[in-house]
Amino acid sequence: MIIKKIAALVSAGRHPVSGEARHCRNDSLAMGIGLALTKKINAISPNAGSTNKTSLRVMHAGNPDNAALKDYLALGAKNIDVIALTAECNIIDSLANELTNTDLILTGSRAENGQDSGLVPYLLAEKLSFSLVANALEVELTPEGLEVLQFLPKGKRRSVIVQLPAVVVIHPLAPVELRHAYAQQVTGNISQHPSLRFTPVMDQDNGLQWQKQSILRKPIKLKARENKSGHARMLSATVSENKGGAVVIDGNSVEKAQVILRYLREHRLINF
Amino acid sequence: MIENNAKRINPRRAYEIMENGVKRIVLGATSDFIAHEAALQHGTSKPLRTPKQAKTRILVVAHSDRGTLDDHAKQCLAAAAILADANTAVVALVLGELHEDLTNTGADEVLVIAELDYVAFQPESELFCVKAVVETLQPSHIFMPDNLIGDGDLGRRLIASQPEKLAATHVIELNLGHIANYQLGGTVLALTNLPFIVLLAPETADTNLPFAASALKLDQALAHPVKDKVAIANYTSLGIQTIAAAKIALEEADFIVSAGNGVNNVQTFQTLATALDATIGASRVAVDDGKFARDKQIGATGKTVSSSTYFAIGISGAVQHLQGIKDCRHVIAINRDHSAAIVKRANLSLIGDAEEIMQALITAIAEAKLATQEAA
Repeated sequence: MIIKKIAALVSAGRHPVSGEARHCRNDSLAMGIGLALTKKINAISPNAGSTNKTSLRVMHAGNPDNAALKDYLALGAKNIDVIALTAECNIIDSLANELTNTDLILTGSRAENGQDSGLVPYLLAEKLSFSLVANALEVELTPEGLEVLQFLPKGKRRSVIVQLPAVVVIHPLAPVELRHAYAQQVTGNISQHPSLRFTPVMDQDNGLQWQKQSILRKPIKLKARENKSGHARMLSATVSENKGGAVVIDGNSVEKAQVILRYLREHRLINF
Repeated sequence: MIENNAKRINPRRAYEIMENGVKRIVLGATSDFIAHEAALQHGTSKPLRTPKQAKTRILVVAHSDRGTLDDHAKQCLAAAAILADANTAVVALVLGELHEDLTNTGADEVLVIAELDYVAFQPESELFCVKAVVETLQPSHIFMPDNLIGDGDLGRRLIASQPEKLAATHVIELNLGHIANYQLGGTVLALTNLPFIVLLAPETADTNLPFAASALKLDQALAHPVKDKVAIANYTSLGIQTIAAAKIALEEADFIVSAGNGVNNVQTFQTLATALDATIGASRVAVDDGKFARDKQIGATGKTVSSSTYFAIGISGAVQHLQGIKDCRHVIAINRDHSAAIVKRANLSLIGDAEEIMQALITAIAEAKLATQEAA
């Protein structure tokens, strides 16, 4: 399997307390994986000409003057391509326009500076008809395709081979070591490539209208309204709920051990 | 003595409680107060919410894990059942096997597609199947848990595949009027109207429902199109690997064996943990005694865990410790004191000497494993 063009999509993050612009950790992990993958592929065939080399393109759609982009330079991006967009522009259409010939798109799982819905990679994959794998921890190129190690909860991992072109969404727990280097930040370059300057596609007004509130208000849990009689209400207020499960006091330790095993088997917590 | 002709009313005359909770006297019935009270306290008769002729439906899609729906999925079902009006039925579409009864979770109709287990990665078939079911049932809303076992992924694929439908993810608050989620990196709470597809965060709804549901199995034919369509494959699933329990971080572990002051022999305890393939945890006392490393501590000053099984050995269950295990599904406790706080929290408590029971359990596990091997 040959892979020529890799793109890492990065977004502007913000510090959760101060609100200061900074890199979005999820996206820098994706960029880190992209950098490592590019390096690895190019190391296998060091004599390939510059045209045959695998390249990583770090892309951002938004404000090119955002201070957060400097962080990505410091974290290893040599050049960041920016599609200058204002808030009204449709990110998906603009990005899709630029990324049609890409083999692999890497992104983080959730942004820190918009609706944070985690939908961008999905919309992009749908628009470009790419395959998509989410919650990726490790990415490796194999002859059959791209092998992705997926995160599953409870200490489980799943390996998936995905056909290119693909969008891979990186999970926040991906084992990537990020190194911040000031020298790279100074030498790195943020460019609005001329070809990127096209008329932005205006967002169609089909989304939801969001009304913003302070986070000081705690979310209210949805509870069923109970139509209890006065007597039942009084009972539930005075009689404490019968808490706790089965208690085994009698029997010797062998019998008690059997009780535990039976419980574990009954709830399918063990497989023997 | 004054003759009193006023008719006396038996203050304990028989009554029944109507569906709306109003008490009605049963005229002419003989009083049977005590029997009635007993029935009331058992609470066996929750009224049935399921509509006879459903006009609309709310679809809840969730993956099952080992034949059961997890709490997160049940919260979605509960949310749907609470929001549903008298003519709306809640349909549970379970991807993966289902071995449990969903009558108390609010599901009026249940459709199980066992082939679409989350263990295999098959987003195309899942999406195709869910779309087919949506096409047939025409639900007014779709609720899904926003989790990592496939529902969050599937939900987003569903949203992306039909951009004209309104949708919201990471929803942390919902009711009939609005939904809310955190935006701008968690710095604002954003509210909007209830959209078509809702991906719910955990703990958004209370699973205690005052009504029951019929949980009728829907015709499996609804799920049939999935079998013809499995051939398309941009993805090959290479199967699941489980990380050795000893290497998993406590926060992520699924089976934790935890030691407290009642464990004197750490060697036995570790043998038991290995036999059960469980991650090791400890209470503060055990850590302070130097029996375990600080990073094994569970509780308010240590780690908060959310394993499906938590096996507390010789732990009395101080409030600080119980805080750390509040998300655990099955708590099993071994303790010498039957009035310890952990006994109230545990699903199964065994009163006795920890060392003896641990030894017996190690032997029992070895026997059970041997028997399984021979059978296989």
